[in-house]
Amino acid sequence: MSELGLLADDPEWADVTPIRQYENVNPIAPIFYSEEYKDATDYFRAVVKAGETSPRVLKLTEKIIRMNPAHYTAWQHRYKTLIALQSDLEEELRLMDDIAKQFLKTYQVWHHRRLLLTAINSVDVAQLELEFLKDVLEVDTKNYHTWSYRQWILAHFNKEARLWAGERPYAEALLDADVRNNSAWHHRFFVVFSSGEKIALAPNNPSAWNYLRGVLEFTKTPFETLTSFVLPYTASKPPAPEDEVVDLDNPLPSQDAELPCVAALEFLADVYEKRGGDDTAKAVEVSVPMTRVFKQADLRVQFWKTLANEKDIIRKKYWEYRIREALQRAT
Amino acid sequence: MTPEDTTGDASEYDLPHLVMTYTALNSLSILRDDFSKLDRRGILRFLSACQRKDGSFSALPNGGESDLRMLYCAFVISSMLNDWTGIDVDRAIDYIRQCYSYEGGYGQTPGGEALGGTTYCAVAALHLAPDTQRFPRGSWLTPEERERTIRWLVQNQTHSGGFSGRTNKLADACYCFWCGATLSILGAGDLVDERALVAFLTDCQFKFGGISKAPGERPDPYHTYLSLAVLSIITTSHGDDESWKLPQLDALWNATESTAAWAREHIPAKQGSC
Repeated sequence: MSELGLLADDPEWADVTPIRQYENVNPIAPIFYSEEYKDATDYFRAVVKAGETSPRVLKLTEKIIRMNPAHYTAWQHRYKTLIALQSDLEEELRLMDDIAKQFLKTYQVWHHRRLLLTAINSVDVAQLELEFLKDVLEVDTKNYHTWSYRQWILAHFNKEARLWAGERPYAEALLDADVRNNSAWHHRFFVVFSSGEKIALAPNNPSAWNYLRGVLEFTKTPFETLTSFVLPYTASKPPAPEDEVVDLDNPLPSQDAELPCVAALEFLADVYEKRGGDDTAKAVEVSVPMTRVFKQADLRVQFWKTLANEKDIIRKKYWEYRIREALQRAT
Repeated sequence: MTPEDTTGDASEYDLPHLVMTYTALNSLSILRDDFSKLDRRGILRFLSACQRKDGSFSALPNGGESDLRMLYCAFVISSMLNDWTGIDVDRAIDYIRQCYSYEGGYGQTPGGEALGGTTYCAVAALHLAPDTQRFPRGSWLTPEERERTIRWLVQNQTHSGGFSGRTNKLADACYCFWCGATLSILGAGDLVDERALVAFLTDCQFKFGGISKAPGERPDPYHTYLSLAVLSIITTSHGDDESWKLPQLDALWNATESTAAWAREHIPAKQGSC
């Protein structure tokens, strides 16, 4: 297939009958496609219909994408073909570097990269992606798609400290270059206030929990606002991987995390304590198995008892003191 | 069906698309179709197939990018059908809330920078949402969040009179709609400096017709439509100048009120049919 030639003249495609676009019997305003585009998409329609996933399909979809990078069916079928052929997806990423730079504002370009990186699932490749994005952001420091993809990578690999490590200095450097760059301000906020990330990395690290409590108290933010983040850390085991949905505000504990986490139980007890202790009806709205067990009882006391008798026995006296104090206040 | 493909069997080339479905329903309402051939159950199945685990929607049932734009389309389609059984509203609201940014606007995806267009999608979708047990009407936005959103939107009106889509960016005619319409949905449309807005859009007119994104640029249908749309929401007094008189717009569906009324009457399933 020559770069500019038509597939209709190419012996490689002689076995395929192209399918023209349906345009009604007498179109009022037929779209003025170029011959080359019409030819390529006519053959592509036949390829999709036949479900063909072969190397020539990769050539064809690349040709269409270069003419019309928003052709979502071409992108989709290309991805399907790459997977079917067990192609080298890193090589595909490199091919896409050029296309991404050329069509910076096309949604499909970036969606394709997300699919590729998800399939490759390698932190090393994610690191290379962050480097590539630095290059792209040099051309257009506020490109929304690029930033969005960068933040998606960080959220997707939210437990990979080395990916996150360079992000704060990077945002600072961009702000040094242009203090009005709102995308850089946003990124700085995104990185600094993802303190949940660090807890997800090591749930039983009191430094991270104390820091989080400090930030909440300093900014007068009620602990209650973090209930949905903390709840999974109070369960006896991590959520099943198939239930995992990437939620940057509420990163989940990793599969090998030691749960339930003492600091999380304490945090939740504090939430209920601030609610007034006996507001169980409200507490069970958040449907986590752990809380259902305690439905009938005073939730904060149940949490403290669990800490005193099972999970944090060394501080048994302290947790009993908390129970006494709370009950005394109640009377 | 084409001469080469007489069976008419659908292939993956013919998959339905959320944005196309939304614009088709709107366009057919503009043309005053009676919707007697509308496959309502098919649309509900399609919506359900497009919703992802995180509550967002992808453009196509088998993939495509998923973000607030697609979610907005799914919400409008459900509200036009007056049938929300195709989607999990609670999960979708969770997703919208995750897109809320510290600035007060909504990013395109969770954790994203506040952006005018997706803020419109988020706020309009929330206001279209039916009551659910978890999210009774209005509970999806605290008074503080609402105030923060209004503050950010108003801040986006630049000294040129037009609105920018993000903090510290230049004004663009399309963001006059995305931000202006959102303010109107939040009941704060009167906070716009409408004279400055009109002056900006006047300058965006191209000498041979049409409206461009900014003064001196080339016009296109997208910016022309959205400029007219915001002018029909943020109304100003132009005295006797008839050319400024525009039909009222339903800011949630982005359709004129008469088209919206037609859609409301003809799109939902009639009692006893499907």
